[in-house]
Amino acid sequence: MTVTSATGTMRIVRPRRVIRRSEAKWTWLLVGVIAAILLIWEAAVSWLQLIPASFLPPPTAIAVSFGKLLVDPEFWAAFGYSLGNVAIGLVIAVVVGVTVGLAVGWSPVLRFTVAPFLWLLYSTPKVALAPLFILGLGLGSESKIALVFLLAVFPIILNTMEGAVTVSTSLVNAGRVYGVNGVALGWKIIVPATLPYSLSGIQRGAALGFTGEVLGEFLGGTGGLGHMLEYAAYQFQMDDAIAMVIVMVIIANLTLLLISTLRRRLAPWYDDRKIAGAS
Amino acid sequence: MTTTSIERNEAGAPLISVRDLSVSYDVARTGKRLTAIEGVDLDVHEGEFITVLGPSGCGKTTFMNVVAGLVKPTTGTVLVGGSPVTGPGPDRAVVFQDYALLPWRTVFDNVKFGLEMQKELKGAGWRERVQEAIELVGLAGFEQSYPRELSGGMQQRVGLARAIVAEPRILLMDEPLGAVDALTREVMRDEIEKLMAATGKTVLFITHSIEEAILLGDRIVVFKSHPGAIKEIIETGLERPRSERSIQHDPRFLELRDHLWDALQGEATAAAVSK
Repeated sequence: MTVTSATGTMRIVRPRRVIRRSEAKWTWLLVGVIAAILLIWEAAVSWLQLIPASFLPPPTAIAVSFGKLLVDPEFWAAFGYSLGNVAIGLVIAVVVGVTVGLAVGWSPVLRFTVAPFLWLLYSTPKVALAPLFILGLGLGSESKIALVFLLAVFPIILNTMEGAVTVSTSLVNAGRVYGVNGVALGWKIIVPATLPYSLSGIQRGAALGFTGEVLGEFLGGTGGLGHMLEYAAYQFQMDDAIAMVIVMVIIANLTLLLISTLRRRLAPWYDDRKIAGAS
Repeated sequence: MTTTSIERNEAGAPLISVRDLSVSYDVARTGKRLTAIEGVDLDVHEGEFITVLGPSGCGKTTFMNVVAGLVKPTTGTVLVGGSPVTGPGPDRAVVFQDYALLPWRTVFDNVKFGLEMQKELKGAGWRERVQEAIELVGLAGFEQSYPRELSGGMQQRVGLARAIVAEPRILLMDEPLGAVDALTREVMRDEIEKLMAATGKTVLFITHSIEEAILLGDRIVVFKSHPGAIKEIIETGLERPRSERSIQHDPRFLELRDHLWDALQGEATAAAVSK
């Protein structure tokens, strides 16, 4: 029918990415810039003493603190606590987010009734709700898991929804022509076609979820990396505090790397740049 | 006229019988009711190759989708093998203009998709059938490739293999070569002609290319637009096997081409004006 074919988006096959030989050059430039910044920083604090070391410790002091952290059992306990909460919150967010996203994306009725509220909630600053969660769920893991979930679930829902809505009509028609119906249509066509979008949402959700965890520990926690960071800052151990921040940056980036690797593994047919719009 | 006429009995019952078919729908944006096709009558016999020719937007794809069971008729009936079409079925396969391959599946698995929902075909020997279909369309060696690694013409070969693997009685092709580059298109026209002549399938082939319609069709169904309806039906009467080269200078081909040019010229102008 012409209605359906009018909305059927035809994907243009793009040539695969050309090997980027020149990118190594940029990597070296970046390393150089970072080295220069560290050198200036070190000089300003330790040698010229322009800034008191108690406010801004020099990179060498931070490096020492960082080394100490890595052999500190207390740090690893906090690390396990935080990542455990993030993992639990994320798993729930993925299950709920993908299910809700597929349902809302696939059903026009839900799309018109539920989706506006999802966008509304998505744009609400959920961080403001953090104190409520701590009041309601206590200082333990529960409030942190809830925060991780709340922050992570919306990008997952909305991306999955976007993916389910944009599944090409001709793919669905192909499914129907070859006898795929009902639930099978979901499994064989909708879910795989949506998968790259979901993974992109999960990537964003993971980053936000980690922020939620640290924030929750900041506002009222009994353990975890955020708690440790807050403690160090209150003790004016700035070298420890900055080392903690670096740890968090590393964790966040490793998580993103992990998920994008996963995405390339699970959905190698999909070009990353095509889903940019949905995130 | 919703009752099927029995006059054709002496020639054997048609495989596809379309009577007074109309499809219209509401356009949400304008609130108007749009008639895509109106009053279409057509009988197609077993083994016939029908090309459906018309300008863009004349409803020829809608017509094909009704036969495929993807679109419900507003009025009228479509019978396939004597029973009314209520949805897609294993007796009809579709080749889509934009290929509609599953990008997450290899060529082999895409072709397998053509028969995996049919329980009786999933028994022993299905691998051989898939392999055979792949070889028939000339894709041997590409079984483990993904669609994105193939050119448009090769992707459509996969679409073709997927359609024929379950051996349907009817093949519905919706401008299958419309998105393929010109050179490949000419090669594939000849191949489709040979393939269909060899398998003896009944084909409904949508196109907006006059040459394609003549080269492939036993009969050409010319559509007009606004609303979409059949303008005329022409027997090509050209000998088979045909090829792009062999018919180029055939006087019958030239005559048909001129005739169709005139018929479509008016249509295309009308379509352009009403937009």
